[in-house]
This record gives sequence, C-alpha cells and structure tokens, in this order.
Amino acid sequence: MARRNLSARPGAATLAFLLLLLFGGAGAATAAEGVSVDVGCVYASNQGSSMDPALGNIRGKLQSMFNYTSYKMLDRQRRSLAVGQAGDYAFPDRYTMRVTPLSAEGKKVRLNVQVTEGPKNLLTTTVGLSRGGMVLVGGPPHQAGVLIFLISAE
Amino acid sequence: MECNNARKRIGEKVDGLLPPEAERELSDHLAACPACAEESRGVSLVGPAIKAFLDASAAEAAPRLDVLWTRVRAGIEEHREARRRPAWIPMWAWLSAALALAVLVLLFYPTGTARSPFNPSSFDVAVEEVESETATVALVDKGEDLPRVIWIIEDGTT
Repeated sequence: MARRNLSARPGAATLAFLLLLLFGGAGAATAAEGVSVDVGCVYASNQGSSMDPALGNIRGKLQSMFNYTSYKMLDRQRRSLAVGQAGDYAFPDRYTMRVTPLSAEGKKVRLNVQVTEGPKNLLTTTVGLSRGGMVLVGGPPHQAGVLIFLISAE
Repeated sequence: MECNNARKRIGEKVDGLLPPEAERELSDHLAACPACAEESRGVSLVGPAIKAFLDASAAEAAPRLDVLWTRVRAGIEEHREARRRPAWIPMWAWLSAALALAVLVLLFYPTGTARSPFNPSSFDVAVEEVESETATVALVDKGEDLPRVIWIIEDGTT
C-alpha cells in the first residue's frame, strides 16, 4: 500500500530519498568519527601588497610572522578522512601533500603529513593539534615567492 | 446667394453634406451663374476620379494585407499554444524535477572546497617528529598567539 502511494506521488518519493540522503549521510559521517582536514595553499611574495580576504583572521598572523608583502590563496581543499585513511592534496608546481589522521585521545587530532615535489620527499612530520587548530608548512619556492600551506583539522 | 458662398457649398454638395434647402439655393445660383456652374462640374468630375484611384490602390494592396493578417493570426495562435502547453504538465512533475535537481546538486557539490575564510580556534600544536630526505627543515615557534610553522628550505633558496 505504501509503495502504491509513493509511486502515485513521485515528488514525495524524491523528497523521501532526499531526506534519507541528508540524514543518512550525516549519521554515517558521525559514526565514522573522522577528521575533516582543510588545507589552504597560499602564495606569499614581495610582488605588490595585497592580502587575500579568503585568508580570514589568519591574515594578521601571516604578516606578523613573515616579511612578504603579498599573500594570495591559490587553492583550498578539504577531505573528510577516517583514522588511517590517507588524503592526497595536489598543488601547483607538482607539490603534493598526503595527510593521514592517526589515533588520538579526546578532542586532539594527530596528523601524519608528507610533502613531496614530484618524486622528492620534502617533509615527513607528525603533528598533534586541537580540533579547530592550525599548523603551517611553508617554504617550497613558487614563481617569485614561496608556498605556505595552512593545515587545519576539525 | 453670392459666388463666394456658392463655391464653398459646391464641395459640401459633392461630399453629400449639404442640407436639402441649401442645395436648392445652390442649384438656383448655378443655373444663373455660368462660372460657378463650370466649377461645380469640375469638382463633380474630380471626386469620383479620386475615389476610383483609392479603390484601385486598395484592391492592389489587398492580397498583401491578407498575407500579413494571416501571419499575424498564426503568430497569435502560436503564442496561445505556447502559453497553454505548460498547463498540461502536472504540478507534481515540476516538484519532482525540482527535487531531483536538488539531489544532483547535493551529490555533486564540490565539498572538497571550503569557501568560508580560515578561522582557527587554536595554534597549540605538538610536533612529534620532523624529517626530510632532500631538504633542510626548521621548526618556527614565535609564541602561543602565532601559528607554529614547519619551514622547508630547498637548496638554500628559501
């Protein structure tokens, strides 16, 4: 009987599917207890004096820490990763970053971060940060400046 | 009746606008005045000639006007059909289409790209290990209020 009603109202069937998708997906994400790893790729240089608004409240921090005059967000990627699941991020000039969440206690997040330039392994590190926290990895040359990666996890 | 007055009324007579009494007065005058009678004859000949010319022009333009009117009517009918057509599609079909579109947007929305600006709640970071096979790596810590930075120095260039 219920099937008959749904076929008589395709709109209702679609709505039911949509709700299932929304709430079912949210439930699955919570159950996995994964980490949302957000990586921004910033191009810092002394060419011009612009500050990308997309950098939010990190703008002042960047200006306090570095001597560059221009900061531009080139790319920003976010992956929802389970513990032990590697997430790959591709950036300009063949730079790639692989982030793997490790097991952690409480509201802490531990991340294994690997930065490569083509076949060259530039960095392997393990960092622990609070959910919502941020760590920076910088230095790879790009055009007339450098790249700074903003890594945050929630 | 004087000639000036009679000549004004000749035109009105040709157009059929002259009252019967005035027409009689005019006829009396024309019978007595050869000059006005001559003008009356001339005006009487010109009127039918103009009418014949206009009738001929209208007859010549009639086929083109028919074609134009046919096109206008066809256009009006086509517009009416186009307005009627959406009413044939039931409301639930529109609703289904809208929801299907919403599902597609949700499925293919680029969740990997966040658009809100960065707003980290903490810069408290513990670096457990750092190593590099091809570059020099420095750990920069300028205090709790500033992020910790792992700086990669490739070939001493940065």
